[in-house]
Amino acid sequence: MSSETKIETNPEKIGVYICYCGGNISDHVDVEAVRDRAEKIPGVSVARTNMFMCSDPGQELIMEDLRDGVVDRVVVASCAPSLHEMTFRSAIYRAGKNPYIYEHANIREHVSWVHHGEKATDKATLLVAAATAKAGLLKPLEPIRMEARRHATVIGGGVAGLRAAKDLADRGIDVVLIEKSPFLGGQTAQLDRIAPTGDRAADLISDLAGQVLQDDSIAVHTCASVEKFEGYVGNFKLGVKKQSAQTNAQQILAQLKPSGKKPGEFIPFAGLYPWPPPASDEKFSVETGVIVLATGFKSYAPYHGEYGYGELKEVITLPKLIRILAENNTAGSCLKIDGRNIRHLAMIHCVGSRKIPGVHPEDESGNLNEYCSRTCCSATLNTANIIRETYPETQVFEFYRDIRTYGRGQEELYEQASRNKVIFLRFEAQDSPEVSKNSDSDDFPLRVKVRDALTFGEDVEAPVDLVVLVTGMEPNNVSELVDMMKIPVGADRFLLEIHPKLRPVELSVAGILLAGTCQAPMDIGETCTGASAGAVKAAALLARGYVELDPFVAEVDLHTCNGTGACVEACLNEGALNLVEMKIDGKKVKRAQVAPAFCLGCGACVAVCPENAIDINGWTLKQYEAMVDMIVSDDVVA
Amino acid sequence: MATRDNHVREGKILILATETCAYPGADSVGQAHSSYAANTYILRVRSPVLFPEQFYLDCFKKGISGIIIMSCGEECPYEGAYKALAKRVDRTYQLMKAQNLEIRRLRLTAICTVCNRAFLNEVNQMNEVVRELGPPAIGHGA
Repeated sequence: MSSETKIETNPEKIGVYICYCGGNISDHVDVEAVRDRAEKIPGVSVARTNMFMCSDPGQELIMEDLRDGVVDRVVVASCAPSLHEMTFRSAIYRAGKNPYIYEHANIREHVSWVHHGEKATDKATLLVAAATAKAGLLKPLEPIRMEARRHATVIGGGVAGLRAAKDLADRGIDVVLIEKSPFLGGQTAQLDRIAPTGDRAADLISDLAGQVLQDDSIAVHTCASVEKFEGYVGNFKLGVKKQSAQTNAQQILAQLKPSGKKPGEFIPFAGLYPWPPPASDEKFSVETGVIVLATGFKSYAPYHGEYGYGELKEVITLPKLIRILAENNTAGSCLKIDGRNIRHLAMIHCVGSRKIPGVHPEDESGNLNEYCSRTCCSATLNTANIIRETYPETQVFEFYRDIRTYGRGQEELYEQASRNKVIFLRFEAQDSPEVSKNSDSDDFPLRVKVRDALTFGEDVEAPVDLVVLVTGMEPNNVSELVDMMKIPVGADRFLLEIHPKLRPVELSVAGILLAGTCQAPMDIGETCTGASAGAVKAAALLARGYVELDPFVAEVDLHTCNGTGACVEACLNEGALNLVEMKIDGKKVKRAQVAPAFCLGCGACVAVCPENAIDINGWTLKQYEAMVDMIVSDDVVA
Repeated sequence: MATRDNHVREGKILILATETCAYPGADSVGQAHSSYAANTYILRVRSPVLFPEQFYLDCFKKGISGIIIMSCGEECPYEGAYKALAKRVDRTYQLMKAQNLEIRRLRLTAICTVCNRAFLNEVNQMNEVVRELGPPAIGHGA
């Protein structure tokens, strides 16, 4: 490599397309200045800008230039490549060209969102210049085509897993559904009448799980969990363990006895119990093309002493109250629990949700649930309405921060609660209600004290018989799956999609899709929407019978290779590189040969070749050298 | 930081960021709008194990003042690559010493997809090194 900085002239015609991103980029980067400078870079035949390069008109700019032969290499300078690299490759493909003649410059996340002024414009220019340097050295590539197994695995047997499994089966795909517990229905089974429609959870689950169990394309495994994971999209292999009856016997018996139910029936507050677990532990493997994660949520468990929870027996959670109400057979105008009349009932919202650093304490693991769990306001109002309409002498007090009854038919619950004379008291995050034992002479066991924002800061005390903590959602702990599959997890511990708006059910690991509340708090309708979306994405991956993997694998220049075997020695995946005998120019020689299906594309071979005879297609050493040349160049931003 | 005028060039920092960990980690810093020095140029790499020792030496020769290899560390999707990389960086340090190049100019670190604070720390620390040492005098070490 030359010690002098020089810009190589490429014979290619490079098109540079710079995005304003509606101001996200152009507010901090002088996009037109970048364009003016880019136009002067050797090899660049055209440089254009657009308000949204990812929009149809933006993509059409590129496609038109390609079709007209104005450009034969494309650089787009816009947001992170994880968002739109595929968009632009696809546009190139639709213009009838090879999608791998493309390079991306990230001038939003790496420039306009972190730098400002002239420096931002200069850096954006250099990143564009570096991208053109790489683009000039790109060659058309063909994707590696691998047969895809027309089979899907759904992990989790709650509403999301059941919905996804049924949708995949309806598309003609064989499905394995793996559920950890002996029951189907997940957290929905812990509910009774569901807001805002009043549907019975039992009916919803019995219907959906019934469809799944009757479908010959779906193999359901309860008491099962994934222990091993390997492979790639289209060809995953899972090791599954099914636990024996003994492990789960207590839980099942405890549920079955009081309900008097048999296998095959829905057990309230447990789920549909399809069949007993196996007599002994079983292990088996599943070969599958795609995986849908529907691992769900758990209800937040208040810590000891949180609003008196665990210390005062009259403090319970909303899921507990829902169960009590469903199992309560006592009639009367006042709600009775354990023989006690509940004359005043307090419900405290946002327990375990919307926590604020510095105001609320972290849990033992250092977690603080800063998110809104979204479903609890409606669930609480629904429960308050049921109580007020069934037991008119039970007065309900709702202590809330904000009421968030989004979605069809849910705001009406709030209005209904007002008509039902539910009393609302509003508190600020830093002024949480205080729950204490009642020392007054009246016979209410508890008092709830709050600074009520609705009466402009008046201190209000309510004597109550029961305090109900409206607990939010937390993701189930799936750290083993996360580690095995290398799945991204958000700071809130929910699984993290590629893009919250544009690719909401895909994970960065190709072939693994998201369904339901493992991703974020959702209600049942939203969960089914997400699950169906995950199923559609999964089915789309398998529809062609093959998957195309990026062709970013090693390639040997047989004329430069002299068969030292250093690359074979350095190779990290056995079988990906071999020294083989071949004839070159009529002579028998040993040369390195790549097995593309096995090559990981890591480049360990590239660094050790004394002849620079092996490189990774699409990511060559020469391309990096050319990029560095541009970065150190003073000419581009001059 | 060195000001950009006719005499003093601002030291440029090259960041080799793995596409599965550190590059999305840098995206995450962007999403958080956490500002950092603009003399940083992030190149997306599949694995930094691709680069031979000479690549780093040539970068310094061309005028790059500091290089941060932001790898996936133990989370590397290519089994064995991180170990091979660490060995290569060690050998690069030996070669840098032989050329009288300050080895603090090259740093190997691991950055995850949400390691915003660690990313900013690395960038700030390398900037301190670059400020202290100035750009490498081409062909003369530093």
